[in-house]
Amino acid sequence: MTTPLLVRFVSEARDLLQAAATCLLRLEKSPDDEAAINEVFRAVHTLKGSVGLFDFPAFTKLVHAGEDLLSAVRAGQLALSSELVDLLLDALDQVSAWVDSIDAIGALPDGADGVSRDITARLRTALPQDLEAGAAVVPLRAEILSSIEWLPAVPAAERLAALRAALSGADILALEYLPAEDCFFSGEDPAALFRQVPGLLALAMEPRRDWPAAEALDPYCCLLRFRALTTASRAEIEHLFRYVIEQVALTAVAPHLLAVAETGLSPAVASILDGQRVILELPAGDDLPSRLTSVARTVENVLHAAGQETTDWREAVRATETSGDTAPLLAVLARLLDARPEVKVDAAAKGLAAAEGSVLSSPDLRHASRVLKVDQAKIDSLMNLIGELVVSKNSLPFLARRAEEVYGSREMSREIKDLFAVVDRLAQEMQAAIMAVRMLPVSEVFERFPRLVRDIARKLGKRIDLVIEGEDTAADKTIVEMLGDPLLHIIRNALDHGIETPDEREAQGKPVEARVLLKAFQEGDQVVIEVSDDGRGIDPVKIRAAAVAKGVIDAERAAGLTDQDAVNLVFLPGFSTAGQVSDLSGRGVGMDVVVSTVEKANGSVSLSSVKGEGTTVRLSLPLSMAVTRVMMVEAGGGMLFGIPMDHIAETVRIPRDSIRHIKQSEAFVLRDTIVPLLRLDTLLGLERNVWFGDPTEEDAVLVVRIGNTLTGLVVDHFREGMDIILKPFDGILAGLPNYSGTALLGDGRVLLVLNLKELL
Amino acid sequence: MPIHVSKTEVTIKGTCTVEDALPLLEALQATPAARVALMHCTHIHTASLQVLLALQPSIVSWPEEAFLARWLTPLLNQGGR
Repeated sequence: MTTPLLVRFVSEARDLLQAAATCLLRLEKSPDDEAAINEVFRAVHTLKGSVGLFDFPAFTKLVHAGEDLLSAVRAGQLALSSELVDLLLDALDQVSAWVDSIDAIGALPDGADGVSRDITARLRTALPQDLEAGAAVVPLRAEILSSIEWLPAVPAAERLAALRAALSGADILALEYLPAEDCFFSGEDPAALFRQVPGLLALAMEPRRDWPAAEALDPYCCLLRFRALTTASRAEIEHLFRYVIEQVALTAVAPHLLAVAETGLSPAVASILDGQRVILELPAGDDLPSRLTSVARTVENVLHAAGQETTDWREAVRATETSGDTAPLLAVLARLLDARPEVKVDAAAKGLAAAEGSVLSSPDLRHASRVLKVDQAKIDSLMNLIGELVVSKNSLPFLARRAEEVYGSREMSREIKDLFAVVDRLAQEMQAAIMAVRMLPVSEVFERFPRLVRDIARKLGKRIDLVIEGEDTAADKTIVEMLGDPLLHIIRNALDHGIETPDEREAQGKPVEARVLLKAFQEGDQVVIEVSDDGRGIDPVKIRAAAVAKGVIDAERAAGLTDQDAVNLVFLPGFSTAGQVSDLSGRGVGMDVVVSTVEKANGSVSLSSVKGEGTTVRLSLPLSMAVTRVMMVEAGGGMLFGIPMDHIAETVRIPRDSIRHIKQSEAFVLRDTIVPLLRLDTLLGLERNVWFGDPTEEDAVLVVRIGNTLTGLVVDHFREGMDIILKPFDGILAGLPNYSGTALLGDGRVLLVLNLKELL
Repeated sequence: MPIHVSKTEVTIKGTCTVEDALPLLEALQATPAARVALMHCTHIHTASLQVLLALQPSIVSWPEEAFLARWLTPLLNQGGR
């Protein structure tokens, strides 16, 4: 059932829906944003076009109704109210649900027809009355062709009438109908069809080839060709000509084409002449005479072909030949090209500018971006392969050492090392390249928030302006995708708890419209996302009280906390300040979920809040998850372990006699702070190295930071740091909490990477 | 029959159907100089219309019906007479 075409449709439809929704919201804010209305119209129009390829009538009808509504909005016949935006967004939601269904089962869900009918009816009732009946579809500007070659043949009076209609805002449609020669036998009367065409501006009935002699004429062989200009909508024409639609060509006519036709020069001729003008305007040089000859001949031929008077031109050519000055030629060309009857010069100027403006901004002139859509699995497998390459590359230094130590060839060793340097560089570049492929702008996630904020704000009766900054900031796909839920939670929290109602805000002298800033930026190798609001902020006193009441901490500790620390209590599991469970947030899922999700991605969350002024939540995440930097340590007599570099604060060597024993525990003093000391061997249940008291011997201590506490970890030896591709445990090993995964070392050994948070 | 053929004139009245195309053609072929009266014609089927367009006979009276008057007149005017 699922065809490649359908798969492409689904992905395209999702993009279009997203674009449409985004622009609708933009439009609601600034209803005069012409680019936005064009864009949303275009998105829906394209969607209608693509769904037409498949047999989803309910889908098509709904999208069509939406398009009609948008087209009325675009034409200025309908003001875009919030209700209308709601209606359209609902429709888009429905369509997007259908797209999901198409993706899943290749068909629309049951009952789609009914749903479509309901929503379509609602959309239609929103249409202005006169449009409703005709279901007018204003043709897309993008479809306007640059030349309709028969346009100049339309008698001037009719063309002028059409131009006038176009300038007063009507869309002109050019219609060419070439009936089949045997059409009379199937009971057709082509001329009768035109009786029913509304707003007929011009109609030409001509033989499509020269008439045969009177004796040879076969009255039952239709030789006529019909050409017409009309203000009727495309839908009306399509309906009228529905039985012969394949014999009809419909083209929207831009007003300036009607005007250009006034010169008597077809656009093609005009463009040739214009080209010649450009040649003439080139700076004079040695080749001027030959250039003149060629231009003179070309223009004369063109004029001749176009049935234009050539005497002026010949005179000008003669004048130029004697004087060597191209001015007379240019004057004649300018007259030919620019000669336009008065009507269009002033009246058309406006329409012309408007038409050209919209033509220029139309998407079809945009160069198709050279984007390749690739299945993520392919990128992932490429990523894995590069990971393997990095690992095998890491085995070269081992080989070099063997060459030297085992085979005694220092030369060989050096050559291998040189080679390693090259492979290393290439592998790193490759890795960087593939990382870049996986990079996504955070706008992927941010995009859905304007809609969300708008809906929530309306529900809560608050007025909120969501400002998004730095949406181009890119991070690894996994990171960006993972951001969605935590951000959703933070923003909901801000809207629900942080932002006051308009009345409260007014009473406090704040602007009635609250501001929520969603900002992304890069900081070192981290991507930082900040959500700040200018709401009521978090009251440390309340937080302390709530924390004690919920038994999260005891009263004594609560009192000892600084205000900042108290605010951070919201991150503790089981903490939720919401007095009552609301629809939005406070569903018993606290900020601790945000923290755990972000920490899973090796990120961190911090929160700062000033009472009465607002709250800022800051998420800091690595740009990429693919490569983890670890430090290798040796413990348990030669076993290697990896420790994520993020956790390591410093490495120190502590003389054994300066280790303090506090009951069973050990500790040492690091720059006037007592740091608890743990032994990795013991923690992992490995046999501890026995040592005999030489008090001056030093222990290698890795000072690690977990959360905000420092801990010393005694290891046997420090080894080098390295970049690894961390493979999490799966299957039967997945339950081992002490390790976050494994990596393969160059010499084939497996490096266990410790999950310090669980271990300590 | 909407078509009445006299010695010098072909009169078309009311609705000229597809069946009238052949008689019309034959009449005009028989008397190439015949003039055509369209005054009371309300619709001409495309087939008959085509005959008129191809042969461009002289027209003695123009149709009163709006559509024909508007769009047919200029087409027939250009030729004969």
